[in-house]
Amino acid sequence: MKTTLLKALGVSALLGLTATTAMATECIAPADAGGGWDFTCRQIGKLLYDLKLVDSPVQVTNMSGAGGGLAFANVVNERNTDPDLIVAASSATTTRLAQNAYGGATADQVRWVGTIGGDPGVIVVAKDSPYMTLSDLVEAIKADPSKITFAGGSAAGGFDHLKPLQIMKAAGFNDAKAIKYIGLNGGAEAITQTIGGFTQAMTGDISEITGFIRSGDVRALAILSPERVAGFEDIPTAREQGFDVVVVNWRGLYVPKGISDDAFNAWATKLQAVADSAEWQAVMEANGLAPFTLVGADFQGWIDGVVAETTTLSREIGVIQ
Amino acid sequence: METLSNLALGFSVALNPFTLMLAVIGAFMGTIIGALPGLGPSNGVAILIPLAFTMGLDATSALVLLTSVYYGAMYGGRISSILLNIPGDEPAMMTTLDGYPMARQGKAGDALVISGVASFVGAMFATAGLIILAPMLARVAYLFGPAEYFALYLLAFTTLGGVGSKNQAKAVIAACIGLGMAMIGLDNSTGMPRFTYGHMHLMDGVDFLVAIVGLFAITEVFFFIESHGKGSAIGVKLAKVTVPIKDLIKTSGSMLRGSVIGFIAGILPGAGASLGSFLAYMAEKSVAGSSGKFGQGDPRGVAAPEAGNNAAAGGALIPMLTLGVPGSGTTAVLLALLMTLNIQPGPTLFAEHPDVVWGLIASLIIANFVLLFMNIPMVKIFVKVLMVPAWVLLPGVTMISFVGIYSLSGSYFDLVLMVGFGALGYFLRKLDIPTVPVILGILLGNQMEDNLRRAMVVANGDWTYLFSSGISIGLWTAAILGFVAPMFLRRFLKRPPQPLDAEAD
Amino acid sequence: MASDRIFGLVIFGVALAYVASALQIQTSFLSDPVGSKVFPIIIGSIAALATLVLLIKPDEDPEWPHGATWLHLGIAVAVLVAYAYSLKPLGFLIPTAIASGVISYQISPRLQTAVLTGAGLSVGLFAIFKYALGLGLMALPRAMMG
Repeated sequence: MKTTLLKALGVSALLGLTATTAMATECIAPADAGGGWDFTCRQIGKLLYDLKLVDSPVQVTNMSGAGGGLAFANVVNERNTDPDLIVAASSATTTRLAQNAYGGATADQVRWVGTIGGDPGVIVVAKDSPYMTLSDLVEAIKADPSKITFAGGSAAGGFDHLKPLQIMKAAGFNDAKAIKYIGLNGGAEAITQTIGGFTQAMTGDISEITGFIRSGDVRALAILSPERVAGFEDIPTAREQGFDVVVVNWRGLYVPKGISDDAFNAWATKLQAVADSAEWQAVMEANGLAPFTLVGADFQGWIDGVVAETTTLSREIGVIQ
Repeated sequence: METLSNLALGFSVALNPFTLMLAVIGAFMGTIIGALPGLGPSNGVAILIPLAFTMGLDATSALVLLTSVYYGAMYGGRISSILLNIPGDEPAMMTTLDGYPMARQGKAGDALVISGVASFVGAMFATAGLIILAPMLARVAYLFGPAEYFALYLLAFTTLGGVGSKNQAKAVIAACIGLGMAMIGLDNSTGMPRFTYGHMHLMDGVDFLVAIVGLFAITEVFFFIESHGKGSAIGVKLAKVTVPIKDLIKTSGSMLRGSVIGFIAGILPGAGASLGSFLAYMAEKSVAGSSGKFGQGDPRGVAAPEAGNNAAAGGALIPMLTLGVPGSGTTAVLLALLMTLNIQPGPTLFAEHPDVVWGLIASLIIANFVLLFMNIPMVKIFVKVLMVPAWVLLPGVTMISFVGIYSLSGSYFDLVLMVGFGALGYFLRKLDIPTVPVILGILLGNQMEDNLRRAMVVANGDWTYLFSSGISIGLWTAAILGFVAPMFLRRFLKRPPQPLDAEAD
Repeated sequence: MASDRIFGLVIFGVALAYVASALQIQTSFLSDPVGSKVFPIIIGSIAALATLVLLIKPDEDPEWPHGATWLHLGIAVAVLVAYAYSLKPLGFLIPTAIASGVISYQISPRLQTAVLTGAGLSVGLFAIFKYALGLGLMALPRAMMG
């Protein structure tokens, strides 16, 4: 008995050693495991190592709090010069920055490396729902907003909530307060509530619900990408149906502001290499992501634009004053 | 029949000397991680994910390693609950209530064996449920909307009255302390800060792990300083460790009931293992009625919650696999692992990746047997902990608690908060105010509020919506009975006041 | 008797302050029918009501420690708080040795064993956490690590 114990301890000690030697790259996922940011860190981290772009496996740290605000503050205040740190980000990050939900932090306090995939927004209903098209749903809300509740994976005013608000605005319905929305912990929970009939529609990103679309438990009324997405050609875009709304959740990284230009460019090159790899293409296809690659300086400029747009939109809709 | 051939497929991928070795390592590390206060199953699995990649493990081997750690931690949590009155992780909280009194009576070995077997029964029951009913059981989650979840949490809080204290008002106060603390931080529904007073660290709210380690481990240290270890389980003369066949037979009913309750709690995302073990304990207590010596070392009070929390851990895999909804922190980490391996859980998982699903199920079964065979003989080693002098053991536990909490967030703030909880716990225990409700309040408070608010959004503010389905009416009825019954029963039975001493809670 | 009454009064005060603080919570433009305030107010009110039971029907007093023990407990709290603050700047080994030594001495006042316990726990736990579990701990102050 005792020798087996010792052996086991020995093996585990050895394993522990190998895991911590060498200066490992750390990827912070600013949320609990299982969500989109965690997915970004783990996928990019795994590919960085598999493609031999980093020497040791990327360590993923889950730092949840304040919708990503805690991680953002931590990077800005304590890790500002760490060249081995990358942080997962998405539209949720820029939405919150634009709405000043990170306690005064601004987008220019970090450097934006790039995005390597887009996750188009979707509006779905349960398979037995009476609404067959996006117009059906929109008309029903116009007739009586109190009868329809959206479920989504973000808090009120967040990224998922903005999608139906933008669609209703495009349809000429401007009373944002009247549109009912409940925020749950992630898209999967939102879809469960919708299939259960407690909410009438779900707003989220397509990668969160691919399984439910394939199994036929839900019907996607509209995808919020510019064009239809490979693998899900049956789903019409909102634009086709006469609602000019495009909402694509990008998935990418930021790094601390204080690192050197060389270090920043090195990350941009590595991210581009991940984006170009066949493995990443496979990951995107399996998860319903659309190609959307922008790295380095281009991405930085794009981010500035997105933040400004979101601020304007949130103000128009009334989410912020 | 199909199930059997699927299972055979699972074992064919999971059963070979290498994966068995991984299962043993995982089970061992999981048990240790589970037993250390502050480090729980989700840390354990998270620590090991990078390791699985470093070793270049394929999907099945990685799953075997991590499920062994997961189940190992669920087994391990009970060890420090029983020996030291300090739960290794939050679902093991209920096991302190009767496990520690047993240890003080010299029956630590019995308690460990019974709880080990109960863990096995619960976990196997859940695995069987997963094999036979998973696709069907996934539908249960569709039956629970905001109103139903609210009623479920309400049930947990109204039945609190009987935990540990004679005085129901004290349990209510304790629950309110926990619920009140849960409100600190960003409001989930609107994203607005509450009770943070501009403090950045409070934005995130109070972590229940900080609370549980503070209220149990640090409080225990203060009691040792006061009493110099008199009246504790440390140094108690231990009975010879044998397999207590009689007690096992006597508690078999408790194990089965605990398994069923825990399993159901596990299936519901948002209920989880802590609620599972809590409800299993409370149900067992009411089944036993006045024949029970709950709170003073009743073996059933050890068997039921342990079966419950392990069954819940297994049950939580069902919504994770079939819906992609992680019911707990640990299943969230396992979900992350699957996604890294490019496997998207959801309703089509069983059809699209049978090898992964059945490989996982086979590895659960393997992990379980490994753990049972490892845990029962190891009881002899575990109880030796009680022979370590208090002046080594308690400082050691304190330092482990600090490192465990420090590894969560790397902030001194949580550590200071933990010491604060330790001081609070000291006064609460002195005044015979149970601490379990405080933890439960912190754990469930936000979910309870969120679901109430969601229900009101859906129903446009109509309060009757809360009792509009069969399930919610049933839960409300149970909740009201659970609150009122103890008051009347006490009056009816006119039991003589039980000689509870201050440290037995 | 008195203990429960004092505790009841303290909680009663805290509950009232909590409710008052809840009333000050900023509400967002996009608020739901219940809002951010209602639930905290309900909790505070229930707590306040429950304390009334304690005030009317208190339990027996527990056995409180005497003067010297209070001092010991106070020292323990101070040491643990200091430990919390020093873990990051001073590394793991030195603060752990001191803190565990002090706690050990408080449980069993023998200097020799306390010193040994402190040193042993500090090195032993460091080895376990760092090498067996792979946690990123700093052994010594950053300056001394070079």
